[in-house]
Amino acid sequence: MKPLLTIIASLLFSILFYGKYIGLNLSIFTIVTIAFLFLYNPEKFKNKRILLHTLAYILTAIVVFVQHSSLSIIANIVAFFTLVGTVSNNKTSIYVNWLNGVYTSIAGFFHRTFEVDFQTEKADWKKDFDLIHLAKLIGIPLAFIIIFVLLYKNGNPMFNDLVNLIDFDFINFQWILFSILGYFLFSNISRPLSVEPATSIDLRTKNELIKSDTFSEEKLKKEKQLGTVLLGLLNLLILLYIITDITYLATNDITNASALSYQVHNGINTLIASIIIAIVIILYFFRGNLNFYSENKNLKNLTYLWIGLNIMLIVLIAIKNLNYITSFGLTYKRIGVNVYILLTLIGLITTFLKVLNIKNMAFLFRRNTQIAFAVLLISSSINWDRSITKFNLNQADAFDIDYLIKLSDRNAILLHEKENGIDISIENKNRIDTKYNAYMDRLNLREWQEFSYDNFVGKRNSKTYE
Amino acid sequence: MNIRDNLAKSCLLATAIYWAVIGAKSIDPDVVPFVFLSMIPIFFCTSIVILLTICPFFWAAKDQSITKVQVIKRCFPYYTIASFGLCFLGIISSDFSTYMVAFFSSAYITTCQSWIWFAKDKPK
Repeated sequence: MKPLLTIIASLLFSILFYGKYIGLNLSIFTIVTIAFLFLYNPEKFKNKRILLHTLAYILTAIVVFVQHSSLSIIANIVAFFTLVGTVSNNKTSIYVNWLNGVYTSIAGFFHRTFEVDFQTEKADWKKDFDLIHLAKLIGIPLAFIIIFVLLYKNGNPMFNDLVNLIDFDFINFQWILFSILGYFLFSNISRPLSVEPATSIDLRTKNELIKSDTFSEEKLKKEKQLGTVLLGLLNLLILLYIITDITYLATNDITNASALSYQVHNGINTLIASIIIAIVIILYFFRGNLNFYSENKNLKNLTYLWIGLNIMLIVLIAIKNLNYITSFGLTYKRIGVNVYILLTLIGLITTFLKVLNIKNMAFLFRRNTQIAFAVLLISSSINWDRSITKFNLNQADAFDIDYLIKLSDRNAILLHEKENGIDISIENKNRIDTKYNAYMDRLNLREWQEFSYDNFVGKRNSKTYE
Repeated sequence: MNIRDNLAKSCLLATAIYWAVIGAKSIDPDVVPFVFLSMIPIFFCTSIVILLTICPFFWAAKDQSITKVQVIKRCFPYYTIASFGLCFLGIISSDFSTYMVAFFSSAYITTCQSWIWFAKDKPK
């Protein structure tokens, strides 16, 4: 029954993806994959964590259908690896899930070949031999017959005519190879694997720091002194920087685009360097026994202050970026700055929690990768092109219509709806119409596997327009 | 380790996959001599890849008296992920050209199978 399931899934794989662009097919593939994993591993689907990742995977499939963006496709693929990895072992960190998921998906078949061999050697050697023998029995004569038929064809016109009567055009060999690829993929994920020793090391590693036996007070005292001096001076420096920055913001009315751009990008560079160095310094001092040293209170307070001031720096950059966006509209780069601000803020908060609760590096990696995964899922669910267009046309003081027209097709419908309500040249209106019509044509040319939500909305709009 | 047998089998496997992928698109009888001729460069390619990227793991393990199973369990997952990543990158960079798809897919499958052959290799 189970091999039949794999064959059916592989045929579906070919029907969905062979010669097609991504669209509804990836969403259906998601459902097929979940059903397939469930049928092969029904017991594992009772686990809450696996159910949560299944839900996340289904949501990304819906997002792929609705948004049809590269980011949503990436999120769906990452969610696929996460789910496969979680089925492999539901107690490991998310990055180990990715490792297990990727390994299972690309090499599960090969891994099982040698694992089975070493575990149950005698029985499977025979089975393996039989299979190879069968393959030889069919493959080798077939290969040679084809070769000789092709050679004899040129030697005898009558034989050539006879061979030419055989027409294999109804068979699409590429489609068959593609189905084999599908079979390989589904066979790989049927029984998810664990990469060792990475999985067992991760399972053994807890989130808490453990006090080591070699606890030299003298050494810790020196380290604490160094940390206190360093963090104290760094706090003074960042405080000075923040004061001058606030003064500059309060006393200068910056409305010039290039000045604002310079401020934001320069600020971001400062922020990148500052936050990375801050986290590295904190991680260095709180890597071990200094966490348990009784006189570490001053150092801890300086660290909290340093984190707090860095957060203040983030807020200042966010204000500058917000001013920039309000005046000159949203762009991908400006959204990128906001995402970066959010991620650094999260990084600082998790570092703060690490120091406060005496956690180890594994805790930081686990939390930050989980949050990065969540951010990827959430950000993939937004139609950024549409949001940028909507914000720039409705709320920004000024907008760059050329930038909006050059964005992907995902804002074509909105731009077309809004073109009569905005003050733009006839040339740009024509460009918007051309973009919209080209998009409608592409939507109409799509096959059912490539459908997205726009296929339904677009058709409705196109009818209204007519 | 029976390197000679492994190289011979790998060469045959790589040739079979390479021409199967190309042949799936169109079969031209005039190409048949090239199938045999192609075995020479394919043999060089597979030999270089296997001798330089797979054998060193087993040779290094021999010095440290680590068993073959341990070598495969420790190294094969990372090797296969890296090799898949590189091959996939090659296919994407070539914009899915048939020859490149054939080349990289045969390279990936052959290297993985070569590990399996080394794993199954019984000392004489």
